[in-house]
Amino acid sequence: MGSNTTTEVLTRNAILKQFKKKTPMQEIMIRFVRNRMAVVGIIIFAVILFCAIFADFICDYDTMVVKLNVAERLQGPSAAHWLGTDKSGRDVFARVIHGARTSLWIGFVATALSLLIGGILGAIAGFFGKWIDELIMRVMDVMLCLPEMLLAMAIVAAMGANVVNMILAIGISRVPRFARIVRSSVLTVRGMEYVEAARAIGARNGTIIARHVLLNCLGPIIVQVTLIFASAILAISSLSFLGLGIQPPAPEWGNMLSEARENMRDFPHLVLAPGMAIFLSIFSLNLLGDGLRDALDPKLKQ
Amino acid sequence: MGDVLLEVKNLKKYFKTPRGMLHAVDDVSFTLERGKTLGIVGESGCGKSTTGRTILRLEEPTSGEVFFEGRDITKISKHEMRDLRKEMQLIFQDPFSSLDPRMTVSQAIEEPIKLAGLIKDKNERFRRVLHLMDTVGLAQRLVNTYPHELDGGRRQRIGIARALAMNPKFIVCDEPVSALDVSIQAQILNLMKEIQKEYGLTYIFITHDLSVVNHFSDDIAVMYLGRLIEKAPAERLFEKPMHPYTQALLSAIPVPRIHNRGERILIKGEITSPINPKPVCRFANRCEYCTEVCTSQEPQLIEVEPQHFVACHKVNAEMGQGQ
Amino acid sequence: MADEILQIRDLQIEFVSEGEVTKAVNGVDLTIAEGKTLGLVGETGAGKTTTALSVLNLVPKPQGKILSGEVILDGVNVLEQSEHEMEKIRGNTVSMIFQDPMSALNPVMSVGEQIAEVVKIHEKVDEKAAMERAREMLETVGIPGERAVEYPHQFSGGMKQRVLIAIALACSPKVLLADEPTTALDVTIQAQVLELMKELKRKFNMAMLMITHDFGIVAEVCDEVSVMYAGKIVEHGTLEDVFDHKCHPYTEGLFNSLPDIDNRKSELKPIKGQMPDPTNLPTGCPFHPRCDYCTERCSQEEPPKVQINDTHYVRCWLYENTKESQLKG
Repeated sequence: MGSNTTTEVLTRNAILKQFKKKTPMQEIMIRFVRNRMAVVGIIIFAVILFCAIFADFICDYDTMVVKLNVAERLQGPSAAHWLGTDKSGRDVFARVIHGARTSLWIGFVATALSLLIGGILGAIAGFFGKWIDELIMRVMDVMLCLPEMLLAMAIVAAMGANVVNMILAIGISRVPRFARIVRSSVLTVRGMEYVEAARAIGARNGTIIARHVLLNCLGPIIVQVTLIFASAILAISSLSFLGLGIQPPAPEWGNMLSEARENMRDFPHLVLAPGMAIFLSIFSLNLLGDGLRDALDPKLKQ
Repeated sequence: MGDVLLEVKNLKKYFKTPRGMLHAVDDVSFTLERGKTLGIVGESGCGKSTTGRTILRLEEPTSGEVFFEGRDITKISKHEMRDLRKEMQLIFQDPFSSLDPRMTVSQAIEEPIKLAGLIKDKNERFRRVLHLMDTVGLAQRLVNTYPHELDGGRRQRIGIARALAMNPKFIVCDEPVSALDVSIQAQILNLMKEIQKEYGLTYIFITHDLSVVNHFSDDIAVMYLGRLIEKAPAERLFEKPMHPYTQALLSAIPVPRIHNRGERILIKGEITSPINPKPVCRFANRCEYCTEVCTSQEPQLIEVEPQHFVACHKVNAEMGQGQ
Repeated sequence: MADEILQIRDLQIEFVSEGEVTKAVNGVDLTIAEGKTLGLVGETGAGKTTTALSVLNLVPKPQGKILSGEVILDGVNVLEQSEHEMEKIRGNTVSMIFQDPMSALNPVMSVGEQIAEVVKIHEKVDEKAAMERAREMLETVGIPGERAVEYPHQFSGGMKQRVLIAIALACSPKVLLADEPTTALDVTIQAQVLELMKELKRKFNMAMLMITHDFGIVAEVCDEVSVMYAGKIVEHGTLEDVFDHKCHPYTEGLFNSLPDIDNRKSELKPIKGQMPDPTNLPTGCPFHPRCDYCTERCSQEEPPKVQINDTHYVRCWLYENTKESQLKG
């Protein structure tokens, strides 16, 4: 005791800086980078994300993606058309790149929507318990009885096939998954003594939920986000394949697959290109999710 | 009688379980003077922790009154209670689960000060954090350290600093050293004694370790199955324990010496269930002095000698004859 | 000596994880004679449990590596035995009781079956004879034989620890390793279990290694005691040697950290500082940063084993030239 008495001179920031150490975030990064498959996942996903963001700079939408060009229809890969052309003479590579933009942003918004709704419902159910927990979770159980795809199809079919309805359909059908995972993490964390400790120093419920409960649930929730993002991308493609999602000529991997069906035997690259795009985006997100789970899990909960 | 800080009257806390009412705390009463330490001892499931938490209203009491500086805190609103928390604090048993793993040492100590809105200026507040760290013996270089990087002793120091942050008058210490190694345990006990003197604190010290409670407390209360069965000044209790359970408990302490070891009283059997207890002496089935009255009436806590309270039919009978 | 049932010589064990090397056991020597009890005392991370696990050749692999040493149990070096041969030795020549009785029993088997299982593995007996033996063992540890058909959740903590003792003793081992067997129990139950263990030790004439952090338990059940710090035995002797003529500053510190039950005003004199980081042990004597008697030499050279008398040795530079205790008390 009594080793440091020169504290008067130094200010808060100076001292905090003087003893700067790795933050938990940095440690998570280090663990994540050590995992080779996770790094592969994040590289693939970064490439897809890059293509989606800069799609307009890579290939022009009007001239290459939607414009019919019957003269050049059904060509194989060449220098002009890296992945060939489809039955309307549109560049397959350009359509795949622009399809990434569609899938990624719809998937992102749908995931965010379901995280928001599911997260709030789950947090309320887990933290307050009792009848409100019963009510929310029984509704979620009912929703879980219906296959997600069927639920999404029903919503789109009832309200009409457009982008907004598709986001709603995919987002709402995944709410129960988030609600369940958030509720169970909240229940675990709520039982920890430091939550009681916060109450003992006079913290309000809101502070406790935000600062102590939700922050400590972040790990499993982030992992779930990547997995649901992947499932949302798959759902967009499935709905579009069935004609309930993005309508041609707008490019989307699912509707590209659907259009390529009739020419599949003679021109397999037409299905391979969007198929691989779907596969790679979901594969990379799953690797990313696994990597994050391993990186977020240990040590902090020692 | 001196200056009474805390008075607990007929405190009860029952929990509903599928098999019936669990009487965790059953009709416990005592008073505690300012600046003193009351040790509460007993074996697992005797209700000692629940007593501490109910006094702080972290659990709502089933019935009974708790007077803190003359004010019945079981009757005040939640809002008023939150203000009062500045004065009544808790130190937890497990320094591994009672700290938020995502808060650094300085954040954890700053939190109570911030919540109470005691010091608005950031730098000012931080100076207070550093002062508290210094008080509890945490080196300044640990400001940015996370709890999982520290050993149990240092974590418990954080817990103590958090409790001290708001200048409380009264602290309930719930087994603060039982998760620690012997050499660290002594460091923490000495620290807690020092700060008690410095800040004029009043403690309730809950533990199952009898040699620690003897060292640390002025008065000792022994609990058994939710009941307070004996309470006396520490030296008095160790010199002349009256309740058969206290006698057995004291003789069961493994004493670290090899000469003149006392005779051991082994009690048979194990603790019974605290669910729907019958109105009889709860220790009767394990007691070697058990008579018919023990299994038909519940003994009351009676002051048999000045400051020495016992709830036992046998002791009462003997005292009655003596008079 | 012929009656040494367990002998550990120069045992060194380290653990490797995430590139960090933890030196758990650094050259431990200990011997236990037939029918005697040795107390192994130390704080968290001193290497007590790892030492005990090496006797069963159960140091977790691949992180745990035994660098050197031998563990001779009843004339056999267990570290050189194959896994198949070890299976015959574990539970038969040597068995172990763990700290937490709550998680050490299988919840879906009756306690009788769990005791009978050990008997059937090591002895050629049929189901009926094994169950009969299980019932006898329960009676031996003070549980009515008819409770053999009950399941672990029907037993309290103290009763479960009795069942574990019954399992450990079912094949009359020559050595019993007890790893903090009463730490999870209440004082009055602890007293019952210790009493039982003392009685059974006499009855079966076993040797026992009692791992504990509590000198009170040592005083109660042990014949000899070794004090362990940072993977080394720093002081060893009979109870009298260590309790009445303690030599090592760490042993003194441990005793001074305990409240005196007879004098509540006596001050606690804790050991300063913290346990050393086992991945980064101090040079010289590992205790020197916390030691009140530390000299220049302590921080540079490792102290040798100094024999105080036939039964008592200490690893400390204070005793280089003298056999008298140098502690201030």
